[in-house]
Amino acid sequence: MRNWLVGLLIVGLLSFWGCQPPDKKTEVTSDETQETQESSEKATVEVEDDQATVEGKDDQATVEGEVAEDQATAEGEVAEDQATAEGEVAEDQATAEGAGPSSDDTIATQKESEQVKVAVAGPFTGTAAAFGEMIERGARLKAKQINEAGGINGRKLVLTFGDDAGTDKEAKLVATRFATDREILAVVGHFNSSCSLAGKDIYKENGIVALSPGSTNVSVCEGSDWTFRNLYRDDFQGQFIARYIKNILTKYNSVAVLFDNDDYGRGLRDAFTAEAKKIDLELVTSVAYDRENTDFSTQLTKIKSKKPKAIFISGLYEQAALIVKQARKLGIRSLFFGADGIDSPDFLKNAGISAEGTYLTTPFTFGAGGEEAAKVAAAFEAEFKVPPDTWAALTYDAMGMIAEAIEKTYNKEATLAENRKAIRDHLASIDTPEEGFIGITGLTYFDINGDTVNKPAYVKVVIDGKYTTAPEQMLNLDAFK
Amino acid sequence: MEQFFQQLINGLVLGGIYALIAVGYTMVYGIIQLINFAHGEIFMLGAYIAFTLVMFFPIPLWVAILVSMLFCAGVGMLMDVVAYKPLRTAPRLSALITAIGVSIGLQNLARMIWGAKPQTFSEETLPKFFQQLNPLVEPTSFLNIFGVSFTENAIQFSEGVFLAYLDLSIIILAVVLMFGLNRLVTLTKIGKAMRACAQNRVAANLMGIKTNKVIAITFAIGSALGAVAGVMVGVRENINPLMGFHKGVAAFAAAVLGGIGNITGAMVGGLLMGLAEVFGAGYIDTFIEFICNNIGLGQFYEDEKISHSYGSGYRVAISYIVMIIVILIRPTGLFGKSSAHRA
Amino acid sequence: MQKYKTSKEQIVTFLKNSGNLIQNGFRSKNIVFWILICAFPLLTFVTDGISSMFSMIGVNLTLPSGDYILYIGVQVCVYILLAIGLNIVCGYTGLLELGYVGFYLVGGYTAGLLMRHVGVPYWLILPIAILNGALWGLIRGAPTLKLTGDYFAIVTFGFAEVLFRIVKNEIWLIRDINGFVKDIPRASVFVWELNQNWQHFYHILILTGIVIFVSYRLENSRIGRAWIAIREDEQAAASMGINISRYKSLAFAISAAIGALGGAFLAQFWGTLSAKTFEFWESILILCMVILGGKGSIKGAIIGAIIIGSMSEVLREILSRFPPDYAGARYLIFGIILVLLMRFRPAGLIFKRT
Repeated sequence: MRNWLVGLLIVGLLSFWGCQPPDKKTEVTSDETQETQESSEKATVEVEDDQATVEGKDDQATVEGEVAEDQATAEGEVAEDQATAEGEVAEDQATAEGAGPSSDDTIATQKESEQVKVAVAGPFTGTAAAFGEMIERGARLKAKQINEAGGINGRKLVLTFGDDAGTDKEAKLVATRFATDREILAVVGHFNSSCSLAGKDIYKENGIVALSPGSTNVSVCEGSDWTFRNLYRDDFQGQFIARYIKNILTKYNSVAVLFDNDDYGRGLRDAFTAEAKKIDLELVTSVAYDRENTDFSTQLTKIKSKKPKAIFISGLYEQAALIVKQARKLGIRSLFFGADGIDSPDFLKNAGISAEGTYLTTPFTFGAGGEEAAKVAAAFEAEFKVPPDTWAALTYDAMGMIAEAIEKTYNKEATLAENRKAIRDHLASIDTPEEGFIGITGLTYFDINGDTVNKPAYVKVVIDGKYTTAPEQMLNLDAFK
Repeated sequence: MEQFFQQLINGLVLGGIYALIAVGYTMVYGIIQLINFAHGEIFMLGAYIAFTLVMFFPIPLWVAILVSMLFCAGVGMLMDVVAYKPLRTAPRLSALITAIGVSIGLQNLARMIWGAKPQTFSEETLPKFFQQLNPLVEPTSFLNIFGVSFTENAIQFSEGVFLAYLDLSIIILAVVLMFGLNRLVTLTKIGKAMRACAQNRVAANLMGIKTNKVIAITFAIGSALGAVAGVMVGVRENINPLMGFHKGVAAFAAAVLGGIGNITGAMVGGLLMGLAEVFGAGYIDTFIEFICNNIGLGQFYEDEKISHSYGSGYRVAISYIVMIIVILIRPTGLFGKSSAHRA
Repeated sequence: MQKYKTSKEQIVTFLKNSGNLIQNGFRSKNIVFWILICAFPLLTFVTDGISSMFSMIGVNLTLPSGDYILYIGVQVCVYILLAIGLNIVCGYTGLLELGYVGFYLVGGYTAGLLMRHVGVPYWLILPIAILNGALWGLIRGAPTLKLTGDYFAIVTFGFAEVLFRIVKNEIWLIRDINGFVKDIPRASVFVWELNQNWQHFYHILILTGIVIFVSYRLENSRIGRAWIAIREDEQAAASMGINISRYKSLAFAISAAIGALGGAFLAQFWGTLSAKTFEFWESILILCMVILGGKGSIKGAIIGAIIIGSMSEVLREILSRFPPDYAGARYLIFGIILVLLMRFRPAGLIFKRT
């Protein structure tokens, strides 16, 4: 019996400790580790950077192992810090829990204190895994570039990935895992609107920013100060496309809609049909397909019998590629129009010659969207052997925004909650075009909800197997207010 | 009417694919009463193997199909030996869980090897008559008999009804393979052994039939047919790690609909499921419109038809409803005998 | 032969037996187990305590946070509840059911829609959801009474799939696309809203406890024995005078009601619902729990639910310690573990002799 009581006492004490708000704990952590770090001046570093250059200034750090020192531009104390911090720059493929296999405790703790951790949540397995893959790569590329350029204020950016498998259940678990973590400063994710909605409350309750690079449902950002997204909502594009067809493609005056029976396709379709009714564009039919389907001949046959001049595909590029291919095989020769969901090199690759003449809107163009975008696309392709798509680019920019926010606000002395709050405040303060973040997907700034204020949409058309900027654009957005 | 014939063709193609997969389920079930959930993954592997072969070696598609059939037959037998054989005497549902485990494992393995993005056969690896045409150029027909014209990649019946050579070849393949399988099971010695095993495995064993060998061959044949279907779907549509799961479930339903364990049943069931899916999605809103017009709700339908998409949203569900109705009317499927009594 | 008892006697025996059951449940052998379960939220605070102690001396243990563990705990409890519900059809009556998620869906949307759009309080929702679930169980059960084996399985699967499509497509019913129900209010006791994870944990623990109790009582009652007789041999059972249709319908209704109860809890626990939660895969997962633990055994269902319900998260935690290239292998390993478990315990972890 006495054993039980003693046990209970210990459990009680420990749990009392655990009940304390997390802020205090982190405060203690950062102070303590700072001391440890100061006391150990000479740290042993194992560097695996093959392209590192030896810097004379940096004689403080002894190098163990096979390779030399990495680049360290700063002087004095910063140089010391950097030498240890960037010890493992080569391991930019950020490991989830920092410590490398051969580093001892001291280094581990030093490294912990010198890194900033950002989480990426997305569907890396399951039905939406193809998008998760691109999100992961976009995030990794940005993190690698940041770390190669010296990290965030000399701190290494470490990513940790959370697979939500595209389901609410796992999204909730991942959100809880990230939100209650002791180090993670911000979350980039989720992709599916349903997952973003599932995680919204958890992020809000625990006070951590979630910046979604892929959720387009109208209500993703409503009602939470902590949720942002850097792509526009479904409704804007739907209206835009309806007007573009009405005003510019006047020859194509009857439209059929083929939509993805999921939140993206449905939201877009609703906006499109509503606007079409308003501006008197003739809609002949509206047909759904499921994302897991790969055979669309039934739906297309149905559309064909209504003889539309144009078909609006409200869906994503994987299905769109199959749709245009199968439509051509059925002898459908209408014009295809798509939204940013089909703006991907894979659309051209998979649809082949059938994609000829397809119109689509896009928030940016990798080819024509500035040198920066082209450079990133090249780096991406060199790194992962595949061209980037919209979501890779959006994640790349989301990561950039978070990194910028951390760079401007991060305070080592502050508690975790304060740091997280500072990041949120910084993101929320980006609310005018002048303050906007300029990324490869264009200028991003948020409205009061955390939604991205409309970026202008460009129209592209596929000619000779390439995306070409359409001859007539419609850039005046005032009409949409 | 054009729409009807076009949908009929679509339905036959889809049904042919389902039938080819369903046969794999039903053969294994007939002999060891196992729902081989991993069969869909064999189908997916078949597509991936052929895809990898034609991408990396300059071989024609039909060679790739043959290699992929052999490979999948091997995988099928391996799966049997590794996963199912130790469970022959265990409760039937334990083997089902093993099958589910194998299915999840293979699905994720494929995702890790080939990536989650869908892959498509590139045009130049396909035979000329499977390739696409430029949509902006009028197709040329090189032969025209009785209003049926033959173009580079499709047969055009009357204005509007198209049958691509690719789809035609799927239907022909399905018919030929099914016929061959039927002959194999009814005429050959191994077919006789299979039927004996299906009737009573223990008795067949006592009669000197090597049941394990028969089971292995069954797995091999079913898997090879699945691989053919996989490659054809890969060429017609695309290849992704989940294709086996999505098509597999429908094919399994088809096998049960036809009477599980019965090969003819699987063929008919597959066709029925394909047709039900296509006609359901194609005509249910016409049907609803008809009803609305007759009960005086025509205007309501006109207003709502764009914002609702009756029919197509229920595409898969309709085929399941048809399946449920058939099973409720004939509790042992179209051709089946009573299935295993205890789960 | 057992004589029919008056209702008063019945109640007395019921109370007596229940008392015995509870007493047995709390035998000294089990007491550690019970304490562990009840103190689970406390234990999760302990892990937080340990990691903050270690971080004081500068060591980062990278333990998962207590809240996260607790969340998994709640999730596992929901699965225990569902597994026990499915065990009634799958284990006792021995029918292979592939569409259990349909009732989970019915419960979830009954609760979600009524609480969100009508404003019915949660405690009133529970009986409504249970009744609605039972109703749907009967609706599906009535035509399938004659079906056996895989024909039954595929009809249940089709039924769940149709429900899934309805939720996904019928906007007038759900009032949002894709089966989204947002901002479902949490349950509250008097004025206090239950919004902490430990509160959810005790909440679901009580619900699960009640379900386990009911299930035990059913198993050892006339009804339970009738079910098992049906499982063993339907003809023999019928010839012994068991009304097959009645007992099967009862099994469907009770099983469906438990599934709906789980769904109702889930709706208020999550606060959001989407159609994707109720896909076929979820049915398979619950079925795996029942069979892995050992069909027809309550303990088995519990253990199966604990193992499978937490496995994907445990694997996530373990794999996060390796380079991220292996993180995608989570479900590959999941599959392999399933195969291995069945390989070495083919009759389930808890094998019940009959």
